Amino acid sequence: MCKRYSKFISSLTLSSFCKALFAEGFLLGEVRQEETVSISDSQISNTEFLQVIEIHNHEPCSKLFSFYDYAGKVNEESLDRILKDRRKNVIGWYRFRRNTQQQMSYREHIIHKQLTHILGVPDLVFLLFSFISTANNSTHALEYVLFRPNRRYNQRVSLTIPNLGNTSQQEYKGSSVPNTSQNYAKVIKEHGTDFFDKDGVMKDIRAIYQVYNALQEKVQAVCIDVEKSERVVESFQADVNKLKRQIAQKKNEKEQEIRMQQAILSRQMPTDSVEPMFVPRMSYTGFAVEGCTLEDSNVSDPPPPYSDFNTSTHDSSGSPGLLESSSIFMPRPQAVGSSSYVSTTDYCAHEM
Amino acid sequence: LNQEKPQQLKSAGLCRRLSCSKKDRVEISPEQLSAASTEMTGRPMRVVGWYHSHPHITVWPSHVDVRTQAMYQMMDQGFVGLIFSCFIEDKNTKTGRILYTCFQSVQAQKSSDFLFAAFNSVSYPSRYDRIEIPIHVVPHETIGKVCLESAVELPKILCQEEQDAYRRIHSLTHLDSVTKIHNGSVFTKNLCSQMSAISGPLLQWLEDRLEQNKQRMQELQQEKEQLLEELAALE
Repeated sequence: MCKRYSKFISSLTLSSFCKALFAEGFLLGEVRQEETVSISDSQISNTEFLQVIEIHNHEPCSKLFSFYDYAGKVNEESLDRILKDRRKNVIGWYRFRRNTQQQMSYREHIIHKQLTHILGVPDLVFLLFSFISTANNSTHALEYVLFRPNRRYNQRVSLTIPNLGNTSQQEYKGSSVPNTSQNYAKVIKEHGTDFFDKDGVMKDIRAIYQVYNALQEKVQAVCIDVEKSERVVESFQADVNKLKRQIAQKKNEKEQEIRMQQAILSRQMPTDSVEPMFVPRMSYTGFAVEGCTLEDSNVSDPPPPYSDFNTSTHDSSGSPGLLESSSIFMPRPQAVGSSSYVSTTDYCAHEM
Repeated sequence: LNQEKPQQLKSAGLCRRLSCSKKDRVEISPEQLSAASTEMTGRPMRVVGWYHSHPHITVWPSHVDVRTQAMYQMMDQGFVGLIFSCFIEDKNTKTGRILYTCFQSVQAQKSSDFLFAAFNSVSYPSRYDRIEIPIHVVPHETIGKVCLESAVELPKILCQEEQDAYRRIHSLTHLDSVTKIHNGSVFTKNLCSQMSAISGPLLQWLEDRLEQNKQRMQELQQEKEQLLEELAALE
């Protein structure tokens, strides 16, 4: 007897999503079958087939509507340009929204169907992120739901994020099981010495520590490179912003020149009209004020949400919260966490 | 507590867990606190708050957290507490969540609670209540040096904690070989777990970020050239 289950594993660090400036993109990974055999009293053997979908990485889109239009029609060429050779690794796509319902919108459904067909992935998934806050802005949450829209039932799937779990330092044994057998003591002492080096340190420990050290050195080295690149991006962005300001300023100066010339011309022309002279309004917005310009690219702001064909009523990026009660997240009454304290007895049972 | 002008958090320093602390306690010793302040390189800074995580459990502070926060406020009224909660899933809606909240403590008002507790032998209620403090994260285009350094410091701290735990066990001399081998394997297992769950994904994220930045540099370079042409045309 076989059963089919599905499980998602994500080795993706959510931090990369949280920092993502881009509101949507593609999920890359792989799908595989795992077979587990279990034995129970009622049956001799029970084989379970587990479908594991692993998310390895993501490919962000630089902006919304980069591979589809307002009607939701997907453009395969644009898709290829974004994905390049990673197209075969696509297992799903994701989108990030603020203060909206955790449901797929009508447009998202349309896009999903087309992507399923174009990419040839029958069980394509959709990961929806939303960011909500309490009315007083003291508590914020990033929520995520994984959908399998091509299935009829069980469209929402649990996403497992690998983590350290409970810190397992309790697994160290502080005492040995008492044993008075001389043979036991002799055998384990004799053969156990293979595990230890001349200093009495376990060889495995030295070995694994070397692996860890090498990895940590690499992490630090790449980190240095990343830090340098962040500073370069910063300075390039500053240059671009400065140039945009200069261009805006120049354009404004030119406009003013033209207006002034027009004003001079109109004064010189003879007129018997008693209408008042047109005096052009001097525009001050062109003067670049430090740190406050027209063309300052606010890329750090979240992309403005667009209204979809769903029942979401929140479409202003400025509204911070959708809650009256300061401690319960709405409109999800089954939200995790409540305003009451965790009792000390409950608290002690969990690892920090 | 009066609303002071908003404090700006410039950087976060990680503190090693106290080795003698119980598993679910996160108090930071005064030595660690002063060490944290002096470690902040560059501009003179002061510690404005503390943060800790609630993996797998609710984001709200426990009685202990609220009491700890109250103690900190005795040193500094403006001290705030931050709690991050992750690896949470709402089983009904299959929604995963990552939350963070900012709080301070105030004296609890109701004195009748004490009488109630005395008469009914209930566990002593907290003298402090939590109050919510608004928190805004200022978005930034790039990641700062201190943030990156904190991130790569984390695996080192975890490894150090593991080494400390193993060293304590290793110093016990009455253990037989099998037990020693067992303990050594626990250390190996735990370090492997750290590498695959923390160091590995961290490295992947760093590499992806580097790639992303290289691409961004190219795009910005192109944009810069275009803008220079545009500016020249206007001259």
